Amino acid sequence: MLVLGIETSCDETAVGIVEDRFAVRANVIASQIELHAPYGGVVPEVAARAHLELMLPTIDRALVEAGIGLSDLDGVAVTSGPGLVGALLVGVAAAKGLALAGDLPLVGVNHLRAHVEAAQLQYGELEPPLLALVVSGGHTSLVVMDGDGSFRQLGATIDDAAGEAFDKIARFLGLGYPGGPEIDRIAREGDPAAVAFPRAMANDGTYDFSLSGLKTAVIRYLRKLEAEGTEPHLADVAASFQEAIVDVQVDKSMAAARAEGIERMVIAGGVAANTRLRARMQAACDDHGIRLLVPSIGLCTDNGAMVAASGANLLTAGVTADLGLAADPNLPLAGRADAASAGGGTTRSGPGRAG
Amino acid sequence: MGRTDGARVLILAIESSTPRSSVALAERDVVVASASLGVPQRHGEFLGPALQFCLEQAGASVGDVTGVAVGVGPGLFTGLRVGIATAQTFAAARSLPVVGLSGLDVLAFRSRHVGRLVCTALDARRRELFWAFYRQAPGGMQQVAEPQVGDAGELAAEIAAQGGDCLVVGDGGLRYGDELAAAGADLAGPADAWPDAADLAQLAVPRFLREETHEPQSLQPIYLRRADARIGWQERGRMHGGAG
Ligand SMILES: [Zn+2]
Repeated sequence: MLVLGIETSCDETAVGIVEDRFAVRANVIASQIELHAPYGGVVPEVAARAHLELMLPTIDRALVEAGIGLSDLDGVAVTSGPGLVGALLVGVAAAKGLALAGDLPLVGVNHLRAHVEAAQLQYGELEPPLLALVVSGGHTSLVVMDGDGSFRQLGATIDDAAGEAFDKIARFLGLGYPGGPEIDRIAREGDPAAVAFPRAMANDGTYDFSLSGLKTAVIRYLRKLEAEGTEPHLADVAASFQEAIVDVQVDKSMAAARAEGIERMVIAGGVAANTRLRARMQAACDDHGIRLLVPSIGLCTDNGAMVAASGANLLTAGVTADLGLAADPNLPLAGRADAASAGGGTTRSGPGRAG
Repeated sequence: MGRTDGARVLILAIESSTPRSSVALAERDVVVASASLGVPQRHGEFLGPALQFCLEQAGASVGDVTGVAVGVGPGLFTGLRVGIATAQTFAAARSLPVVGLSGLDVLAFRSRHVGRLVCTALDARRRELFWAFYRQAPGGMQQVAEPQVGDAGELAAEIAAQGGDCLVVGDGGLRYGDELAAAGADLAGPADAWPDAADLAQLAVPRFLREETHEPQSLQPIYLRRADARIGWQERGRMHGGAG
């Protein structure tokens, strides 16, 4: 079974092709980083315009990479949410054009869920219950895949996403965009205990995150030094800022694993590339007897293969959408894998193709 | 199968660049099926089922379609992208030629028999309009100048400069009717307020017959406005993991 997956929820135009749910045949990502760099963050209208320009060439490249034609496909999957609505709509419309032209089943995929299911492309069948921390420029969420294959969000950031905080602080420190890799790099030379930045919501008993207070604290600290005429030690600031984020993410992940009795965990999203997060999470998981799965970078950042994998799972479970599939910027993460609603809010999931 | 019959011309038309979206299927110059929706912001959900409906009603299969025509704006950015993305992938998947037409041209085409200067004007939001002027010419309407974006005062000044004797067609004319009428323009009614896929198909068919067509990838939206970096920063709050 060959499934093509389209991802346009934020600033990557991505198309992947997955065979028999586990094998990546193509994973093409057309990045828009350079377009958004002058703004220090993703500009929705700029993203939507670029998605339209890049959509068809990216589909073509994926087909070439997989060495197949559209007629070889068994289904078309697309991220229908959550994300930027104007960006999502381009991918959803493109998927519908393909599905209609090729008389192929269409599958709506939840972006967060796809991030988690990307791990099956590296580790094979995911064994629930499974905990997942999804951290990127667009999200910071703790998610559980339950024994029946359904997904549940335990908590999420109430303000900025982790990657967004990295971007903003990197800009403040005069580093490049995107900020995550830059901060990761210079933090290696710094002391993570140099500055005691706040750990927001660390012990509040929820699985939610808040990063805007930390961002403000870092900026206030830098302004104070400036007023005193002191040069900040950039590596120390970066390391301390990064540690404050990682601390809370590791602690909450372990608390969730304990409370839910979970022994397997995935970290996904662009920020999963952060070396400090990986090292600290690995150490914590070792302490708690948890197996940690960290997909390769190409499967962690937004990509089409993860959407194809999630779509293939849904298609196998008989879940499809009809051509009325809506893009939903706030698509909730809920529903059983074999329930119609799991198709990513495909409220009009057509029984016509199901089963 | 239909394509082996060299004479068959079956054009799928998609127009979703304004609050009124529509699709149509035309066999040469006869529109054999069409559907439209006057509910804005639902274009993405409407187009697919509507295309399916038109094909079914016309007793045609996807393989019978010989070309795709699509409205490329100017208009609502999100809607026109949805139309173009759908048209592009559909056409590319079936190796079909495409024709992209401006909604302003499509509106003018409907007024091709009025025998006077026509100004098509679409509401561009943010207190602005998109507009263009057309004169009757052999074989259709000829655009007098490049399409523009501006406020009603600027359009009224242009109308006055043209001697005031023109018919304004489109929802922009309806919205800013008082200012434009004061400049001497006559206003077309709400029946002609938005470009329609049936007109688009009819306007596009001669181009398919003359093979003045393009590859799907070459379709370009007409934005007439630069992407505004300030648009939608609020939207970012919505992406942090959804509502769940
Ligand atoms: Zn993501």
